[in-house]
Amino acid sequence: MSIVRRFGMGLLAPLTAVAAAMLITSIVISLSGSSAIEFWEIIFSRPADRVFVNIVNQTSLIYLAGLAAAIGFRMNLFNIGVEGQYTLASYAAASLAGAALFPGLLNVFMSLLLAVAVGAAWAGIAGVLKVTRGVSEVISTIMLNAIAITLVGYLLNRYGVKVGNGVRTEVIPDGSRVDGWFPFAEPDGPVWALGLLAVLGGIGFWVLLNKTRFGFDLRATGASQSAAVASGVNVNKMVVYSMLMSGGIAGLIWMPSLFGAAYSYGTTFQAFLGFTGIAVALLGRNQPVGILVGAVLFAFLNEQSNRLTLETDISANVVQITQGVIVLAVVVAYEVVRRYRTKLEQRSVTETLEADKTAKGKAVSA
Amino acid sequence: MADTATTHAVVLRDIGKRFPGVVANHDVDITIRTGTVHALIGENGAGKSTLMKILYGVQRPDEGAIILGGQEVQLHSPTDAIAHGIGMVFQHFMLADNLTVLENVVLGAEKLHGIGDAARKTVAELSDRYGFGLDPDQLVEELGVGDRQRIEILKVLYRGAKTIILDEPTAVLVPQEVDALFENLRVLKEEDHTILFISHKLDEVLAIADDITVMRRGTTVGQARPGSVTKHELAEMMVGSELPTPAKEGSTVTDEVQLELANVSVVDPRGRSLLTDISITIHRGEVLGIAGVEGNGQAELVETIMGIRKATYGQVRLGDVDITSWETRGRREAGIGYIPEDRHRHGLLLDSPLWENRILGHQTRRPVAKGMWIDRSGAREDTDRIIEQYDVRTPSTDTLCRALSGGNQQKLVVGREMSGAPALLIASHPTRGVDVGAQAAIWEHIKRARKDGLAVLLVSADLDELIGLSDRIEVLHRGRLVAEFDPRDVTPQDLGAAMTGAHEDAS
Repeated sequence: MSIVRRFGMGLLAPLTAVAAAMLITSIVISLSGSSAIEFWEIIFSRPADRVFVNIVNQTSLIYLAGLAAAIGFRMNLFNIGVEGQYTLASYAAASLAGAALFPGLLNVFMSLLLAVAVGAAWAGIAGVLKVTRGVSEVISTIMLNAIAITLVGYLLNRYGVKVGNGVRTEVIPDGSRVDGWFPFAEPDGPVWALGLLAVLGGIGFWVLLNKTRFGFDLRATGASQSAAVASGVNVNKMVVYSMLMSGGIAGLIWMPSLFGAAYSYGTTFQAFLGFTGIAVALLGRNQPVGILVGAVLFAFLNEQSNRLTLETDISANVVQITQGVIVLAVVVAYEVVRRYRTKLEQRSVTETLEADKTAKGKAVSA
Repeated sequence: MADTATTHAVVLRDIGKRFPGVVANHDVDITIRTGTVHALIGENGAGKSTLMKILYGVQRPDEGAIILGGQEVQLHSPTDAIAHGIGMVFQHFMLADNLTVLENVVLGAEKLHGIGDAARKTVAELSDRYGFGLDPDQLVEELGVGDRQRIEILKVLYRGAKTIILDEPTAVLVPQEVDALFENLRVLKEEDHTILFISHKLDEVLAIADDITVMRRGTTVGQARPGSVTKHELAEMMVGSELPTPAKEGSTVTDEVQLELANVSVVDPRGRSLLTDISITIHRGEVLGIAGVEGNGQAELVETIMGIRKATYGQVRLGDVDITSWETRGRREAGIGYIPEDRHRHGLLLDSPLWENRILGHQTRRPVAKGMWIDRSGAREDTDRIIEQYDVRTPSTDTLCRALSGGNQQKLVVGREMSGAPALLIASHPTRGVDVGAQAAIWEHIKRARKDGLAVLLVSADLDELIGLSDRIEVLHRGRLVAEFDPRDVTPQDLGAAMTGAHEDAS
C-alpha cells in the first residue's frame, strides 16, 4: 500500500468521528431549543489572543496526561489512575517548591523530580499488586485515585496555609517561578515555559516506543502477550516498568501550570486532566502525533466553549457531549478502518503473488 | 437391557463433514446400544470432536443420517439435541464459582422446575438417585474437580438427557476421582442411561466400556468389545498399520552433548505432576523426536526447556552450562531457537509488519538490535534475506504478518529461528497447518541445519515427520518418557502401544 493511501486511511477514522460528533451535538442543541449554528459559530470563531495562549497551555497539560495513559495502553495496561497520580504528585511538588529548600531553578528541578517520583510510586503500587497478587490494574488504580484525592485533601487541610475560604500550600518564591514567553501583549498571559515538558515527553515517547528495545518489548507485549513471553520478554517486569513510567509522566501533568501561573497547590489546581488524558490517548490511538491532535482538539473545544456561557443560552458543558461522542465514534471508526486495511493488505498480497506467477510463466514461455 | 439390539439409543450412518480444504469426517458408522457405555477412541485430530459436535447439534453433517431411538432426526442446534435427550459434558467445565450447586444446575433451565423448592427437590432427588452426594446449597467454589464434574453431569440429567456425551472426562481427574466417576457411570447405566465416552486412554476404556469404536483420520476404522480385544490391538487400530520409511541419509550425530535434561520434573501449583523425571540428551547434529498423544506433557517439556516454565526438580544444561534458573531471554541469547506449536499465539505479532516479526525473540541481538536500540534497517535487510532463502511469498517486508498464508508465516518463523546460527532448535509441530510445498521446504531446512551440527528437539504428531527427521524417538505418556525407539526399525504396534500407555503391562 502506498504511503499516501496509508496516511489517508489513518485520517479517515478521526475525521468520521469528528463529523459524527458535530452532527450529534447539533441535534442535542436543537432539541434543547437553542441554535446549533450559533454554537458552531462561536466554537469556530478565531480565538482571541488570550484564549489562544490558554489553548496552547491547556494542550501541554492534556498532552502530558495523554502520554501518561498511552504508555500503559500500548501494552494493554489500563492505568485509570493518572488522575490520582498527578493529584498526589502535584501536591508533593508544590509543597517542596513552596518550602524553598533549594535556591532558584534547582528548586524547580528538585520539585519536578519529586513529582515524577511520587507519580511513579503511586502507579507502581498498582503494578506491583498486579504482578504479585493478580489484582486488575483497572480496579486498583481507581481505588488509588480515591485514596490519593482524599489523602491530598487531608494533608492540605492539616498542613496548608489558610487564605480566605481556601487552603493552599506555601507559595513558590519568585526565584523559582518559570513563567514563559509572552507571544502577545502581557495581559494575554504567557505560554508556560514548562510546557516544553510536553514537547520533550512527546519526542521521548516516540523514540522510546519506536527506536528502543524496551519500546519493542512493550509494544510486543501489548500486541500479543503470549508471543512476547515466548520471545523472552519478562512480562511482570514490563508491567511494573510501564506503570512506573506512566505514573512518572502523570506526575508532570500539572507542573507547567504550577510554576507558570498557580505557584501553589490550592483552589487553582486543575482536576480531571487524568481522565481527559485517557480520552485523548484513545482518540490519538496511543501515537504521539495522534495524541497531540487530540490534545489540541480538546483544549480548543474547552477554551472556545467558555464564551458560550457569556454570549448564548447554551451551556458550555455541551462540548463535553461533543468530546464524548468523538471518543466513542473514533473507537468504532478505528476498528472499521483496521478491518478494511487488513482486507486491502491481503488483496495486495494475493495480487503480488499472482503477478509473480504470470511474470514467471511469461519468462518460461519466452 | 436392550441387548437384543431392537432399539439403539444412537445410530450414526455414513456421516460426512467437510470444511474448506479438509475432510473432517467421512463414512462414520457408529451404533450405540441403549443402556451401555460406548467408548469412542482415537488420536487428536482423528475427528472425534467434529463427530461429537454433529451429534450435539453444533454442526450439521454434509451427508449421512443421525438416528435416535429408531427415528431419523435433524439436529439444528444443541437445543434440538437436548430436546432429543442428548446432553454433553465438556472437558472444560462451565460453572459459575460464586453460585451454588442448585443455581448452577438451574441456570438456563429455569422453565423446567422454576428456581425455588421444586427445583431444589429435583436436584436433591437426582443427586441421591445416582449417588452424586451433592448438596444443592453448597457454593461451587468450595468443591473439587470431581464434584464439579458431577454437577456438569447433573446439569444434563436435569435437562432430561438420556444419552450423555462425556468429552475426555478423565483428563482432569486424579485416579481416585476416576474410580468415583466410573461408579457414577455404572449407576447411570443401570438406570438405562446411555453414555458416550470419548477418550484416548486405553486402560480406562477397557475398564468401563461395553463397546468400543476406534476412529482414525476422520473415519471409524473398527469396533471392539473389551472382552475380546487387547490394548495392543486397540493401539494399533488407533495409530494405523503402516509407517513411513525413514530417510536414508547418513547419521550426523556427534558425541558432543548440546542439551541435557537431568531428572526434570514439573509440578503445577495444584500439585499435579505435569512432567516426571525426564532425562534426555541431544547431541550436536542430532534430531530427537518426541512422540506422544497430545496433552501428555509435550507442551510442558518444550516450555521447560525454553524457560517459560520452571523445572520444579532437576537440571537443564545447554552445552556445559547449567541454565535451569535462566529466563527465556537468556536461553534464547545462548543459542536456542524456538518454533512454537501455535505460531499465531506464540510465534508472531500478526498485526505487525514482517520486519518487526523478524525482531521478535531476537530483541537483544544483531543484526536487529544495537545496544539498547532497535536496528530497523538491519532488521529489514535480514528479513529480505529470510524472504529470499526461505521463499516467503510476500510483496514486501512492510506487509502485515496477518496477510500472509499459514505456510508463508511458518517459513518466516523457521527462517527467523534459524537466524544467528542457533546451537539448539526446539521445533514444536513445525509443519502443522502448512501446505505440502512449505512442509518439504521446512524439512529440508531442518535437515541441512542438522548436518551443520544443529541439535534439534522435534515434537510432532505427524509420524511422517517424526520418522523422517529423527535420529531417535522418545515417547511421552502422562508426563513420563516411556519408551525409546530407533526410527529405522520401529513398528506401528510398538509406537502405538507406547503412545497410549499399553506397553506398561507388556513390559
